[in-house]
Amino acid sequence: MHKLKINNLSKTYSNGVKALDNVSLEIENGMFGLLGPNGAGKSSLMRTLATLQEADSGTATLNDIDILNQPKELRKNLGYLPQEFGVYPRITAEQLLNHMAVLKGITNSRERKELVKYLLDKVNLYDKRNKNVKGFSGGMKQRVGIAQALIGNPNLIIVDEPTAGLDPGERNRFYNLLSEVGKDVIVILSTHIVDDIRELCTKMAIMNEGQIVFQGNPQNAIDELNGKVYQRIVTREELEVFATNYAIISNKMVGGQPLIHVFSDTNPENGFELVKPNLEDVFFSKINTSNALV
Amino acid sequence: MVYIFLGLMTLFTFGATVSDNIQIGGSVGNVYKNAPYIITIYTTIMTLFGLLIAAAFYNNAALRDYNNNFNEILFSTPLSKPGYFFGRFFAALVLATIPMLGVFLGVIIGSSLAPIFGWVDADRFGSFYLETFVNNYFLFILPNMFFAGTIIFAMANKWKSTVISFVGTLVIIIGYIISGNLISDIDSETIAALTDTFGIRAYALYTKYYTPIEKNTLSPGFSGLLILNRIVWIATGVIILLSSYFSFSFQEKNKKIKAVKEDKKELKQLFTRPELSPKYTRKTEWKQFKSFFLINFLSIVKSVTFKLLFLFSAIILISNLVGGFEYFGLQSYPLTYKLIDTISNAAGIFVIIILVFFSGELIWRDRESKINEVIDATPHTSLISLSAKALSLVCVTVVLHAFFIFCGVIYQLANGFTRIELDVYIIDFIVTSFMTYIVWSGVMIMIQVIINNKYIGYFVSIMVIFAWGLMLSIFDIESNMLFIGGRPSLMYSDMNAFGPSLKGLLWFNTYWILFSFICLLIAGALWNRGAVSSLKERIKIAKKQIPKSYRLIIIGTISCWIAVAGFVYYNTQVLNTYETSENIEQLSADYEKKYKKYENVVFPKITNLKYFIDLFPYKRDVVVKATMTLVNKAETTLDSIHYTINSNWGTEIKIPNAELVLDDNDLDYRIYKLSKPLEPGEKIDIEINTKYISKGFENGAGNTHIINNGTFLNNFEIQPALGYQSRIELSDKNTRKKYDLKPKDRMPKLESDCSENCMKNYLSEGASDFINVETIISTAGDQIAIAPGSLLKKWAENGRNYYHYKVDHPSQNFYSFMSAKYEVKSRKWQGVDIEVYYDAKHPQNVEMMLDAVERSLAYYTKNFGPYMHKQCRIIEFPRYATFAQAFPGTMPYSEAFGFVINLEDEEENNVVDAVIAHEVAHQWWAHQVIGANMQGATMMSESFSEYSSLMTMKSISKTPMKMREFVKYNHDRYLSGRGSEIDKELPLYKVENQSYIHYGKGSVVLYALQDYIGEEKVNTAMKSFLEAYKYQKPPYPTSLDFMKQLEPQVPDSLKYVINDWFKEITLYDNKMKKASYKKLENGNYQVIMEIESKKLLADSLGNETPMKLNDWIDLGVFSDSDEEHLIFEKRVKIDKSEMKFTFEINEVPAKLAIDPRHLLIDRIYEDNIKTAKELLPEN
Repeated sequence: MHKLKINNLSKTYSNGVKALDNVSLEIENGMFGLLGPNGAGKSSLMRTLATLQEADSGTATLNDIDILNQPKELRKNLGYLPQEFGVYPRITAEQLLNHMAVLKGITNSRERKELVKYLLDKVNLYDKRNKNVKGFSGGMKQRVGIAQALIGNPNLIIVDEPTAGLDPGERNRFYNLLSEVGKDVIVILSTHIVDDIRELCTKMAIMNEGQIVFQGNPQNAIDELNGKVYQRIVTREELEVFATNYAIISNKMVGGQPLIHVFSDTNPENGFELVKPNLEDVFFSKINTSNALV
Repeated sequence: MVYIFLGLMTLFTFGATVSDNIQIGGSVGNVYKNAPYIITIYTTIMTLFGLLIAAAFYNNAALRDYNNNFNEILFSTPLSKPGYFFGRFFAALVLATIPMLGVFLGVIIGSSLAPIFGWVDADRFGSFYLETFVNNYFLFILPNMFFAGTIIFAMANKWKSTVISFVGTLVIIIGYIISGNLISDIDSETIAALTDTFGIRAYALYTKYYTPIEKNTLSPGFSGLLILNRIVWIATGVIILLSSYFSFSFQEKNKKIKAVKEDKKELKQLFTRPELSPKYTRKTEWKQFKSFFLINFLSIVKSVTFKLLFLFSAIILISNLVGGFEYFGLQSYPLTYKLIDTISNAAGIFVIIILVFFSGELIWRDRESKINEVIDATPHTSLISLSAKALSLVCVTVVLHAFFIFCGVIYQLANGFTRIELDVYIIDFIVTSFMTYIVWSGVMIMIQVIINNKYIGYFVSIMVIFAWGLMLSIFDIESNMLFIGGRPSLMYSDMNAFGPSLKGLLWFNTYWILFSFICLLIAGALWNRGAVSSLKERIKIAKKQIPKSYRLIIIGTISCWIAVAGFVYYNTQVLNTYETSENIEQLSADYEKKYKKYENVVFPKITNLKYFIDLFPYKRDVVVKATMTLVNKAETTLDSIHYTINSNWGTEIKIPNAELVLDDNDLDYRIYKLSKPLEPGEKIDIEINTKYISKGFENGAGNTHIINNGTFLNNFEIQPALGYQSRIELSDKNTRKKYDLKPKDRMPKLESDCSENCMKNYLSEGASDFINVETIISTAGDQIAIAPGSLLKKWAENGRNYYHYKVDHPSQNFYSFMSAKYEVKSRKWQGVDIEVYYDAKHPQNVEMMLDAVERSLAYYTKNFGPYMHKQCRIIEFPRYATFAQAFPGTMPYSEAFGFVINLEDEEENNVVDAVIAHEVAHQWWAHQVIGANMQGATMMSESFSEYSSLMTMKSISKTPMKMREFVKYNHDRYLSGRGSEIDKELPLYKVENQSYIHYGKGSVVLYALQDYIGEEKVNTAMKSFLEAYKYQKPPYPTSLDFMKQLEPQVPDSLKYVINDWFKEITLYDNKMKKASYKKLENGNYQVIMEIESKKLLADSLGNETPMKLNDWIDLGVFSDSDEEHLIFEKRVKIDKSEMKFTFEINEVPAKLAIDPRHLLIDRIYEDNIKTAKELLPEN
């Protein structure tokens, strides 16, 4: 069992933005979802864990590796797919993975060859192994990205918003692959797509403005909201009024009319009906504590 | 941005105007620092740099809307195509010319500030002419920016890529370079001038014969070749612009979509994840290094930019080779060292571009491909990836260079030259260019890593390349330890291989390579891994994260570097010192200020001399003992002897009963006081021991006279000089002014009846007259040592060879001592041993050289008098210098010409023969009779020798036109030489050792003279002059003494030429205005020539006054357009500036000419000849 411990990690950028604010987490084997709106500090956290960024204070350890002070050791155990994954021009998928495998210490060329083939097959690109990666579609590139993240025997796999730009089929394949490898290692998946987390993760955390606003089991979080979320369709004109009078969690358009979710311990009446909360409600209730219109 | 560029241009020109250290074109002597000519040179050169500005503006104009993705919005508006297209173009054109105005601003500000602040004297500035600025703008700035713009704009519009615009800029530069390669001879100058897109060479040709006064007053005009060139390129530009306009469209081209090829379906294989065993050992690092290297190397090699650069450099190399290795109309053999020079020239600029451009590309590649985070998060050391980048950079340049060498070898083979020295190619590459590439790769990678911004990184790299060296030279620093990649220059010689600089070169290489490693190590430590952070943060991270082993490597490398630096410093600054150019000036000025007072101190003259010389060529040491007898030939008693020492030599002077009373080691001046003064006529025996011991290595190339194979010393180098030496004084009047010295005369004035001032000749300057000299010289066992005179005895002792030479007739104390592994070929001619000492690699021309010597001896003995030595030797010496020189009976001749020129197809006269004939002629002119040390002296040695040489050529020339081919080089030498005169031009009989006058004009005038009065007459005058003065005791003759011998030989009708050609500066401006002919009824042809003729008198600066014409000039008819057959010639009296002549001839004329054989000095000779038009009979 691997264990990632993050203690009071903080980071403030030179422009004053607090990217990480006293973040503490404990993560064990399995898929761990990191949910948060854009700019919440997810990528900062991931980059810090991937040794690509310094923290101002706090510690982070993977098993007995001090991530901040032993970056090289951590890198030996890391599989990383960043938010933006590009490729070199004029290089084939096979060459690229081969290069990455060498960098990850797979020096035995027979092992390397087999591994590259295996991974290419896994990500369904075996047929395209001799094509220039630069010409791949977004989804194909992303698959190359996941293939490279799986090279070696990583204990910690970090994938930052991996499904952006993938079609539903590709997305499914991607998650299947991820959950398959995620059985024995820690996989941290950052995303702002709530469904991804629900489908895949047993543990999750929600980040907002550099802080962890929630961590735990997604189902538990939903259960907590049970019987406290109400919805109602309102007119556009009324929206402002409702926003001031109720603790709005979210609003979205349904059939051209705003549908608002509000949080309330008691039934607010006034045409609201009780709904079964979902993870989205959890997400919004955690990050929208000021109950502003979003 | 416009203002930044404007500021830079202003700054550059300002710097050049107010400082002598920054040179762009440059003004010297009488040419003002703000002369129209200088301003034009600045403008033309700056338009070359302006190209980069143009590239930026035009690229921006063409691509801005695309790059900002604004095009689709903009082009859907009702915008007219011509309005958009030309609007953008001309806006960019105007913008691009604005920075160039900085050139004018810089000159104007510089000229007004420099005198005020005392940076430059006010008298070095003249007045400004509005015309200069206007004409420069319309002749150079506007057309150049326009033409460059059309290409860049067209290419940018077509391909919509900044890189392609950059390529467009390169295309223009390459065109310029190739056009320059076309100049291989005088004959191709016009083509080169027309094909130059910038007009720089057209202007150079336009002003080729400009005198200082013309440079100071004439602005470039809209005329001649210059305007032709401009019209050609503006027209080309218009065509390019129009064709670009018509192919331009607002609509996006349909992007090509490649048909998707069906992938071959392969049988589904079953893959299993292998058991992995990741290892992180040294071996892993090595494999990572290899993988990184391969990825980077391939990325450069496959990139379009590299392919283009490769192509361009190959084009430049090939265009260089096509012209071959020209030398005065002859071709040199394609020797390996020549190809090496060509290759390093062709490679130079491209390698710099490659290093700058790809260092940025490689460093930024990961980030630009957005793969950086993935790569950075893998367990590799940053140094591994950076050094792989550096290596791939170096390897790319190696590939390029290897290709060049391949081209070189192919070129040699294609020319039937089989002595291909691959080892020389390779060693030269490894110790020079390869080292440069390594050093710069490291430095540039460090710059990119530290700056952490690609484009600022590029800018800094370029500044480091150019500005750093410039800055050092401003501060008068010459140590190669400070010039990045600095090292002594290396010159391969067939005789002496890589020569004396190799040792120092290797040490400097070690020093710089370690420096480059340090740069890489620093870059590796500060490499921005992961999120972008400031340099400060990276230093903090580095301090925290860098492992101990890495620190040890850095410390180790730095310690090695410091140790090597110490050793290099010790060798180049302590063991072997050197003087910087400003130091040398200072020393000269101090010498003059302190010891000028001794200028007239009389010293005894050397009468007998015996040299004992031991050469140790492999240790590069020389030990000399000279015993001599000095006689007081003055009429006063002498109580002291003064010496000026050669500071590189250890010097011990033994004068009996004398005391060293002054020993100035800084200025190398010594005074020995005699305890018993020397009475008139009294003798004294002196022994002087000097030695040159080579130690370690030097900052520069080192002594190229004392070398392993091909040592070449003369007596002035190995002996201290008697008395104060005025030749050490600064000569340039502007430099002298800087050190508060008054302008000095180059030579004493010519005097008619001189006794006192004619006691010294210009060669020995009073130290001796004609004396007896003997030499015992020894050298290594495998070499031959040669000194002037007959070889009396030769023996071997202790494995060394000894030779005893004695000059047969008292001669000048002008002596050469040489030693090398020679082959000898000899021939006997009337009791004289003609010998050629040559290197085993150069036997080709030896037989011809023997012929040339024999032919010269025959002509000179017949026409001038007997040859006074028993041997006549030509001796090859290495190519560190390119000249031939005449010592008594002995003529050293550089391997760089003569020995390596292909004469296989030369049947008639050629320059190799001419040089030999010239040097042999010196055995009469300089060694038998020599002029007094005053104006006109070199006419009797150099002009006479050049004339004698021309006469031997003439004696074997089959047609008179062949000689015109030959004399044209002398005309050119004179006319272009007078344009660069820094003081004043003088008439021939007052020449002050000015080579363009005594070689160029002297030979032209004497050649014309023998044509006008007859060869016999000229020879008679020279012979009687020789007989009157040969081997005479002082007083020495002057040019006036020769004129006295010449005058009786000139008929009264031609007396004017003595005055015009010898005593004044006279130029002719002849022109064939109209050339026609008609067929006569008797079958003959009548030719009609309408000519225009002017005779101009020039003063020392080039101001011309028209003179009354009453001269004899030839008119001639050529039967062919190649001007090879002169079928008719008549000398006519021209007494009006426009005249018409008709002659009857019996062949069809092709061209009519005034002065058809180019005897007279005429700045524009081409218009002397015109194709004859047939006049059809009127019906």
